[in-house]
Amino acid sequence: MKRPQPGLITLLCIASLFTVAPLIAVVILALSPQDAPTIPLAWPKELTFDNIVRIVRLGSFPRWLLNSFWYSAISVVVILFTSSMAAYALARKRFPGRNVVLWSIVATLMVPVQTTLIPTFVLVARVDGVNTLWGLILPTLANAQAVFLIRQFIRELPDELFDAARVDGAGEWRTFVSIVLPLVRPILATLAIFLFLWHWNDLLWPLVVGQSDAARTLTVGLASLNTETVSTSNLMAAALISFLPCLLIFVVLQRHIVAGIAATGVKG
Amino acid sequence: MSSQTLSRRREAITGVLFLLPVLVIFVAFKFVPILGAAGMSFTRYRLNGDVTFIGGDNYTRLLADANFWHSVGVTFLYVVLFVPATIVVSLGGAMLLNAVAGSATGIFRALLFIPYLSSFVLAGIIWSWIFRSDGPLNAALGELGPVHFLTGNRLLVLASLAVVSIWKGFGYSMLVFLAGLKAQPAEVYEAALLDGASPRQIFLRITLPLLKPVFFFVLVMETIIGFQVFDTIYVMTGGGPARASFSITYFLYDAGFKFLDFGYAAAIGVALFLIVLVLSILQRRWLEEKETA
Repeated sequence: MKRPQPGLITLLCIASLFTVAPLIAVVILALSPQDAPTIPLAWPKELTFDNIVRIVRLGSFPRWLLNSFWYSAISVVVILFTSSMAAYALARKRFPGRNVVLWSIVATLMVPVQTTLIPTFVLVARVDGVNTLWGLILPTLANAQAVFLIRQFIRELPDELFDAARVDGAGEWRTFVSIVLPLVRPILATLAIFLFLWHWNDLLWPLVVGQSDAARTLTVGLASLNTETVSTSNLMAAALISFLPCLLIFVVLQRHIVAGIAATGVKG
Repeated sequence: MSSQTLSRRREAITGVLFLLPVLVIFVAFKFVPILGAAGMSFTRYRLNGDVTFIGGDNYTRLLADANFWHSVGVTFLYVVLFVPATIVVSLGGAMLLNAVAGSATGIFRALLFIPYLSSFVLAGIIWSWIFRSDGPLNAALGELGPVHFLTGNRLLVLASLAVVSIWKGFGYSMLVFLAGLKAQPAEVYEAALLDGASPRQIFLRITLPLLKPVFFFVLVMETIIGFQVFDTIYVMTGGGPARASFSITYFLYDAGFKFLDFGYAAAIGVALFLIVLVLSILQRRWLEEKETA
């Protein structure tokens, strides 16, 4: 059995300082009074939530927060549901063209999002989807990773399970909803976290398609606050708010994140 | 018709029906845009529907465009700074985590991973503050400063941007490496220790070769991420100073959404795809050669 070594622990402490200190600075700056000097960084004489309150009340901020929420939440739910259906078909059903479809989907992973940015934008613009929430969400629903990983997972499930369901007279939809979906929950949980993070933190696509407040997400809003004359403490308050949901998800579901990365990295 | 062919046919129909929603989404938002990118790159494209086929003009223009070659140079330099450093940091982190035992691993793993949860926008905002000429990093450097991280020369600006991206993103690759390390058989290490192998030998002769598939995955993934650099540039430098951080994606964004030159921007997107594709193939070749050597 390995024992903790003091030298290694020291190194890990230094590395952790590198990762965590900037985030602690965000918290301190966000809780410092607006007129307090932000340089050098000092623990403020009094902590205040004024910045948070001010930012949350700022005209468009609630709208951005809500847009980010819908963008992430709807995408996660729709991607997971439709991908599970497709993955079930690709893993368990024989039909002509199955492999062509599977590899066409996986091959799209090779194409950078920037390559399809312009045509996707034009497509959305043509159907008046610019500055709308559905125009923002719809194009991001094509997620090859989700289809591929869920398919890998379903393939490992024992055949007997599906035979038993058939013997019991379960229809295809019943089998999918009450057998497949519950069994693939671990991979769905993992994917849910990452899809949420990717959507919540996404910039380029929301930047080009959500130019007005109607569809502007929090990251785009945050970037715009950065170029405006907002005080550092207010900016950091906004940054902190944008970070909290991600942190909360991580604290609650850490286990799935580690398992999920292990699965994507080693098998992917 | 026999009952077997009937059930075969039913299976096929079910398969297609279950696949249908994803297929529709992929056709509309992946396959069509990919073909669209190729198609648009041969046109002069205006949003009002004014489209003219101009053959390879966008590409000849691209090859003669000093801005394009500048952006390619900037991006390559950034990738050269970013990719090896991020691999060293994430592999180092993974090896550290793998070497310590017990409950401490979980806590340190979480602490090292935490920046991955943030957006590049958040990372850009906080590091802009850290990098300020009167900021905390320059205060720590004391006499050596002030260093103009984001307003200095191209190398310094790109290195500073790379630091931000490494800080924000290395956690993912670190966990990929960690999973790879955990999957390595302990017996091989025990045998090597019995044979009196040095830690250096163990690392070069055992750890790295066994890690190769994982290494390839991380190398390709981080290279692709490096070539797509945009968010931190958008937030921290706006492509400057004096276009020192004018990356390919920033060039594409400018061409498309500042100059509304959609056909040209599409051609830049195709060029980016080709660069990434060629590099992925070269990286695979390089690693395979190392195997046979």
